[in-house]
Amino acid sequence: MAEPPEEDPPRPWGEGNTPAPAAPPAGSSGRTVVVPPDSSMAAAAEQFNCPNCGGSIEVKAAGYTVSIACQYCGSVLDVTNPDVQIIQRYEEEVRKLELPLGSRGVLRGTEWEVIGYLRRSELGAYPFDEYLLFNPYEGYRWLDTDGRGWSLGNQLVASPQQNGLVGFQVDGEFYEPFYAQTPTQVDYVLGEFYWRVAVGEEVVAADFVRPGKMLSWERNDRESVWTLSELLEPHEITDAFGIDPPSGGGLPMPHQPSPYRKKAGLFLKIALAAGFALLVVTSLFGGTSDPQTATINLATNGVEQSAKIGPITLERARQAVTVSVRAPGIENSWVDLGYSLTNTETGEVYEADNVVEAYSGRDSEGSWSEGSRSSSSKFSMVPAGTYQLDIYAAGTQWRESGYSSSSGAQVEVTIQRGATFYSNLFLALLVIFAPALWQWWKHLSFESRRKSDSDFSGGDDDDD
Amino acid sequence: MSRGAIIFGLWCLLVTGSYSYAAVTGYSPFADGRRAEGARGPGGVFIGRGGPRHK
Amino acid sequence: MQSENCPNCGAEVIFRSPALPARICDYCHATVKRIAEGVEKAGEVAVLPFDVSPVQIGTTGEYGGKHFDVIGRIRLGYDQGAWNDWLCFFTDNSYGWLSESDGQFQMVIERPIDGESSELIQRLAQGGDVEIGERTTIDGSDFVVAEARWAKCIGAEGELPFAPETDWDVFNVDLRDAHGFAANFEREEGEPPAFYVGRYVTLAELKAKNLRAIHGWKMPVYG
Repeated sequence: MAEPPEEDPPRPWGEGNTPAPAAPPAGSSGRTVVVPPDSSMAAAAEQFNCPNCGGSIEVKAAGYTVSIACQYCGSVLDVTNPDVQIIQRYEEEVRKLELPLGSRGVLRGTEWEVIGYLRRSELGAYPFDEYLLFNPYEGYRWLDTDGRGWSLGNQLVASPQQNGLVGFQVDGEFYEPFYAQTPTQVDYVLGEFYWRVAVGEEVVAADFVRPGKMLSWERNDRESVWTLSELLEPHEITDAFGIDPPSGGGLPMPHQPSPYRKKAGLFLKIALAAGFALLVVTSLFGGTSDPQTATINLATNGVEQSAKIGPITLERARQAVTVSVRAPGIENSWVDLGYSLTNTETGEVYEADNVVEAYSGRDSEGSWSEGSRSSSSKFSMVPAGTYQLDIYAAGTQWRESGYSSSSGAQVEVTIQRGATFYSNLFLALLVIFAPALWQWWKHLSFESRRKSDSDFSGGDDDDD
Repeated sequence: MSRGAIIFGLWCLLVTGSYSYAAVTGYSPFADGRRAEGARGPGGVFIGRGGPRHK
Repeated sequence: MQSENCPNCGAEVIFRSPALPARICDYCHATVKRIAEGVEKAGEVAVLPFDVSPVQIGTTGEYGGKHFDVIGRIRLGYDQGAWNDWLCFFTDNSYGWLSESDGQFQMVIERPIDGESSELIQRLAQGGDVEIGERTTIDGSDFVVAEARWAKCIGAEGELPFAPETDWDVFNVDLRDAHGFAANFEREEGEPPAFYVGRYVTLAELKAKNLRAIHGWKMPVYG
């Protein structure tokens, strides 16, 4: 062996020059010192020169094509030479990779070197790339991509706990099934791995997801392995290795978190808060009070009768006024009503019309009934002042019916301060919840597209 | 807090404020009562000025 | 990475990857080609890593509140790869094995098989077989068989509690539970079987010091 150079090279088989201790240390139980046998250190390097002139060679690359040429005589070495073939093949294959072997980069605080590459697929379909990362003090990691995004994976040392019927749990986080057990094969392998993986090696793989993470289970009759992967942001892979981020497109990835979830949740919270505020305002200011009632006994002969209610004092600068009417006894007749609300000081008049009616009978399908025996009219923004309500009512029988109708009607009219405008409330709630529901719809639409590729969506895929 | 959420928050504030104003003053675009054209007294008698009132 | 000696001038030539078939000597510019299994089959089969471990004889650390020194190592190889078992000597004169496989570490302590209630372990002790994925209970926890394979001792160094030979075969079974605990069973032809229990650890939580310096990598400082 040559003299060791100045810097300390790795010496996996011990120092070789450590002297054996004179006697076993105290407390030993028959320990012995072993001088390492040099069994696996067979000659591992040979020189390889240009067959033409004996000079050293170089690798020339033009795009993806590689040729081996002599540095001195310039001749391109014959590719039938097995040594040339080995070198040329390796160099060409390495150049085809998106992430070249030997690349180094810092991902999430640790430096990694790319040492191996696998291309795997579901028996030829849906191919994906897997790179093996290595740091001698941190171990191995996986960098996977299917063209849509990159994920950083780590093999688990503790097997996940089964949670429920089909899901699994790691560190208290739940993963739901996405891809059912699928035969997966190796189509291509390049570089270094910690097991002798070869083309054709097959496992059965299943994947479980939660937003941003994927739990993968792979097994064959030799071993059962769990890997936990985290989805990387596009800039993380560019910052680490300098390659372009994936162009994306297509369906969302199984573990891709919905970009709309947070926004939709926030919008709904704001909408609910606003909705609650609306209800509080309605209960404080939207009710009615101080009812005053008048009763008219009508004959349903079309003759108008009138009544008055007053004085009605309105104190707020502006307020609503509700005039409600009920005629509980009418049958197959209607009552027309007219209201005039007059300010006794200024003479301003507010008018409204209303109708209460009730019809019923029998036909081929059975009994039917129609109409409403009570109703209300609401006056909006009536100014402060003292008012009088004039009521004009006329009752009419429904002559065409042929059924019996009431000949009289007792009509009860009530005026109250304020009004509960449900229509206002409905309009306000609609206008508040519409944007929030739109965000939520965008989130649901994303999730639906994401889950459409799952084997467990319970969805409407008809084939397979 | 995204910019969109802030705008939505302001929108909700606007709607709630408008609704509160309507609730207090009794406003509604869906109200039934209308202000009458001219001033009239009960029974249809016009109690407006009806003409000059000087001596 | 591994260093070779240039066949032409004897200088050190460092191969960063075991898959790299050849490179130029920095001193004499001769082309040095590597002979290693799988190098010629780029695209078809992987090349196994160099035997370069971050742990070395003399590495120290802490486990279970006790300090330990790494004093010996055996290397076991099988058809698909290899692993290291580092012998750790604790300050209370007890031993543990730091098993290093695929970049992951387990610290396991031997204990007598006779007391084990697990049917699976007793079956193995009698010479029986197991299947990957089989479950059993050890110390009240649910363990699953992760590996079961024959391996051959392909290297030994330092101080070891048995005779300094290589080339012996051992049947090794690896079990793990859902909380990071590990159990090993080993059976050698003609020898009493051995059983070990411990857990998966990282170099950081062992507060490992005096790790091997590896060319081209920054050594982390633990503890």
